[in-house]
Amino acid sequence: MTRDAYVVGSGIIEFGELYEKSFDDMLEEAYLNLLDGVDGGVAPSDIDAAWYGTIDIAGEGSSGSALAHATGLFETPITRVENACATGSDAFRNASLAVQSGAADVALVIGAEKMLDDTAGLIGSAALERLWRGRGVTMPAYFGMRATRHMDQYGTTREQIAEVSVKNHANGVKYPYAHQQFECSVEDVRESPTVSYPLNLYDCCPVTDGACAVLLASEDRAREFTDDPIRHAGWGLSADSFQRGDDLALSNFPATRQASSQAYERAGIGPDDVDVAEVHDCFSITELITYEDLGLCADGEGGRFVEEGHPHLDGDTPVNPSGGLLSKGHPIGATGVAQIAEIFEQLRGEAGDVQVDAPEVGLQHNIGIGRNATGAVSCVNVLARD
Amino acid sequence: MSGPRYQRTKRQDQRLVGFECQDCGWVSFPEEKRTCKRCGSAPADFEEVGLAERGEIKTFVVQQYLPDDIETPQPVAIVDLPQVDGNGEAARAYGLLTETHLAEIDVGTEVEARFRELFADGSRPINSFKFGVPRATKGDSDRTDDNSGDGTGDSGTGDGERAGADPGGRDGGDGR
Ligand SMILES: [Zn+2]
Repeated sequence: MTRDAYVVGSGIIEFGELYEKSFDDMLEEAYLNLLDGVDGGVAPSDIDAAWYGTIDIAGEGSSGSALAHATGLFETPITRVENACATGSDAFRNASLAVQSGAADVALVIGAEKMLDDTAGLIGSAALERLWRGRGVTMPAYFGMRATRHMDQYGTTREQIAEVSVKNHANGVKYPYAHQQFECSVEDVRESPTVSYPLNLYDCCPVTDGACAVLLASEDRAREFTDDPIRHAGWGLSADSFQRGDDLALSNFPATRQASSQAYERAGIGPDDVDVAEVHDCFSITELITYEDLGLCADGEGGRFVEEGHPHLDGDTPVNPSGGLLSKGHPIGATGVAQIAEIFEQLRGEAGDVQVDAPEVGLQHNIGIGRNATGAVSCVNVLARD
Repeated sequence: MSGPRYQRTKRQDQRLVGFECQDCGWVSFPEEKRTCKRCGSAPADFEEVGLAERGEIKTFVVQQYLPDDIETPQPVAIVDLPQVDGNGEAARAYGLLTETHLAEIDVGTEVEARFRELFADGSRPINSFKFGVPRATKGDSDRTDDNSGDGTGDSGTGDGERAGADPGGRDGGDGR
């Protein structure tokens, strides 16, 4: 890589049940919010290329032409990226690589998903016919299996797992774009209906529509768009599977360790340098495990880490100030892009009621499931103030 | 008789056959492919190994919300099946649990493979293994009655394959 890439702007739409909005409406709104949100202004003609993240659950956005239609960016190279729940963060990574390589000076990233158009949703897409890959195994089961094992292996308590949801909902009520804005207690989490033992309803993120855009520019061009650009300092991307036989994969996600190690090395930092993080909390247990996989605490200490308040808004390592997927929602293609947008705002001191204390380094993380949960893809990006 | 999709791994599905990488010892199951998923050996040298019918639960969940044609609660576990000769590594697989009280499932629980009809493809039954906690056999002094009302018994490919829903088990909302 020959040069650095910088985030110079972001535009998000309110996450929620956006039945009234079409896929095009959502893409268009995120794009317009981005154009409007760039400090020094940006014209469509400035954009050299675009990366578009979606898994296209709604069946309306299967190629780059969907983004061209929504934005008017015809005659521009647009690449669609799909990489499970890491779709948005990988779209960002790909756009940044193009800027870093010199292939583009200014690159647009948009992630979008309409999760609610398909009423069967992810439970309906659970494989019914794969005999040995868990017939009917659903998302809550993939992650719930780690919860069962983590409790058995490390003595993690059900209350500690619930604490993650309590924290993220407390943050989410202060975050204007969150889908479900309510506070809850550990008791509320434990008394909500069982989805897949040991996880209950409030341990699970809602089904949400949403879109988000960010703009990247080369180090030469970044200051045309803002006086306060944020550098993409490092990234990692990896895949793993519990079926490879590593016992750690029963309680944790080795893919996140691999991806974060790559990202830390590229950024020249360690986990102690992370001042704020937006991580994948599709389920409460996912975030608890991720503390360990990212090295924010020792193995088996995730439960104590959250119980003692370290990842809280006023803690020493705030995690998911936006309320996370648990309250914000998880429109898959948009999720990672929205996390990048939040870290961008945090590092610029523009995060409003969820602003943490003067962060210099921010981390964004997604983990995705594939091959009926036998495979897990993880993407980590590090952003930094220069 | 099975459809083409099930035909591909029919032998493994019905006989508990795995494939051991001769470079690193990883056991591929049920597929036999030409690359090793652990050491990356390509092409890998796989040798066929028989898998034991008793294995151990490494972790599990009990699913409550599933598509309509799957009964709930549905326990599903990750099960390690050792090799029949006692040597080498175990194969790691998903296991659907059957004829088992939810309260008797835990990490470390021994389960045995039972050949069952998993579901029907049209009118054709698709058979493979499910797992259950081994039952005390007739004449054992410590025989308990806890398998009554569990759906099918130990023998045959029954049609009532759901796990027993234990009212005092893990199906409550209290997060035990
Ligand atoms: Zn090997």
